[in-house]
Amino acid sequence: MQTTLSPQSLGRPGFRSDLGALWAVVRREWTIFRRYPSWIIALLIWPLIFPMMYILTARALAGPDGSGLNVFIQTTGATDFIGYIVIGTTVWMWQNIVLWDIGFALRNEQMRGTLESNWLSPTWRFSFLLGQSGPQIISMFTFFSITALEFGLFFGVRLNGSIWMILLMMLAAIPAIYGLGFAFASLVITVKEANAFVFLIRGLVMIFCGITFPISILPGWMQSIAKWMPQSYLIHGMRAAAFSNAGITELLPDLLPLLGFGLIWLVVGYFTFLWMERRARRTGAIGQY
Amino acid sequence: MSEFAIEARQLVKKFPARPGTGDKPVEGESTQGPKKKRWQFWKKEPKTMFTAVNGVDLQIERGEIFGLLGPNGAGKSTTIRMLCTLLEPTSGTAKVHGFDVVSQANDVRRSLGTVLAGERSIYWKLTGRENLEYFAALYHIPQPIAKKRIDELLERMELKERANELVEKYSTGMRQRIAISKALLARPPILLLDEPTLGLDPQAARNLRELIAQLKQEGHTILLTTHYMEEADQLSDRIGIIDTGKVIALDTPEGLKRRIEQKEVIRLEVTGWHDDLAEKLRSITGIENLMTRQQGEADLWEVNMQAHNSRTAIPRIVEHISGNGTRLVNMNIVKPSLEDVFIHLTGKALRD
Repeated sequence: MQTTLSPQSLGRPGFRSDLGALWAVVRREWTIFRRYPSWIIALLIWPLIFPMMYILTARALAGPDGSGLNVFIQTTGATDFIGYIVIGTTVWMWQNIVLWDIGFALRNEQMRGTLESNWLSPTWRFSFLLGQSGPQIISMFTFFSITALEFGLFFGVRLNGSIWMILLMMLAAIPAIYGLGFAFASLVITVKEANAFVFLIRGLVMIFCGITFPISILPGWMQSIAKWMPQSYLIHGMRAAAFSNAGITELLPDLLPLLGFGLIWLVVGYFTFLWMERRARRTGAIGQY
Repeated sequence: MSEFAIEARQLVKKFPARPGTGDKPVEGESTQGPKKKRWQFWKKEPKTMFTAVNGVDLQIERGEIFGLLGPNGAGKSTTIRMLCTLLEPTSGTAKVHGFDVVSQANDVRRSLGTVLAGERSIYWKLTGRENLEYFAALYHIPQPIAKKRIDELLERMELKERANELVEKYSTGMRQRIAISKALLARPPILLLDEPTLGLDPQAARNLRELIAQLKQEGHTILLTTHYMEEADQLSDRIGIIDTGKVIALDTPEGLKRRIEQKEVIRLEVTGWHDDLAEKLRSITGIENLMTRQQGEADLWEVNMQAHNSRTAIPRIVEHISGNGTRLVNMNIVKPSLEDVFIHLTGKALRD
């Protein structure tokens, strides 16, 4: 047999190259996201639709003269019941969208047929999940900004706290919310169909985290469960930052558990990913549709 | 560095058999645990294992094109997926470019260019150029080198004019060329091409075969799987035939054909074919490996069979076929092709 010189690989492995690959995933996701223009409509309409359901229910329950609202204000301590509801429902939507977007990110690649070609490259595989989160975080922060603008314009909701404190709460929540998404994404690749889990998790957030009511009205055992859910601290802290002008000291009881849960969920997310990656190599799950 | 580009020794892959999918343990495979008589809620059913690859040995030399052929479900894809690190072998070892597929998986990926799912392996919502830029980053190619390399590949694949259009607007052939460019980006020494001409029109397939031959000239080792026997015959230096998880033959195309050259292949074209005729023809002494294939929509059937002595067999064949609405339209005695070798060895056509 004729012997020829093998071509030499052009790849240069290293930390910088892995960062470059991560950035490429972010750019790819952003480019694809921009090419589906329907997201503009979703970004404009969804911030209004979901909270409206609860706001209108609250108005109906308050009676024709709105007297019932005083009871709500006494229970919650909030002066603006619309703002109170909007923060809870928007956090719920954040977690919900992350479960669908990040949770199904690998599964969607698998269905499209591109997961294997990504998996075959010598890059750090967690970057495929991490990179997808970048554009998702940007779109969610835009979602929050549009929510604030629309409710300010149409319902006169005014933030009387520091925008920086609200932002701080949101940033502190990213590890917990996305860590859960990473763990979820790995499970979805394993079980293939996980819609029921999304419904379960978002149902739990809806009931236990007080998206439209204070956790204090829940029975004791439910309040104990709420303490184990990072979304409870995020909703509570954001309400305090937005409407009670809470500073960093007042926010610490919410910030610290949120960061703690963030660390836990990131670790859980990463190790679930490693477990899935290992399992997929044994079972061939990556190539199965 | 290892003497071989790809080397597999006693490679085995077992999967848990999935109920209802027809996964059956292959010969010699037994189920684990005793047979249960009664279902018990608290006890797990013992797992039945399905052996997809059963002791494959391969030594692919540097710079050769190696064709891996096998009917569907023979273990071809599982073998390839183990070699490119998507699957971990249950036992046995495999090395690619001298790197172990389990303990040095990342080095293996760096040495391999793969075209696995063809046109589905790239992003249709990105342009051709964006796809290549993305994969260049995943393969850790520094940006200035990547830019130059992408331009070279787009030029070579005749895609430069349309490089900035979305891939969803490309033809299947163009998408396949982007998928191949992706595999060539990092100039990997070994290329793994799984059905590279599937779905291409004849001209595009011919161009791609020429490209594969050029890549060999440039020093790439190529592991090729294909459903097109002529393609394997034309391109491969050596061919491995895999069936029921084992390599049942490995030789040059000529060497394989020599195995049955003492046999003749009788090719008939008949109308009014019915299934019990197959049994009658098979009962003729010296006739084996009978295969039928309907020609298009019309009631015209091609019947291929291998014979030790066509002179004694033909009168009996004609006797069976004449009458009962069956009519012999054409008959040829041809030299055995690679496909006939395949049928002789596996008892199946490649597309079975």
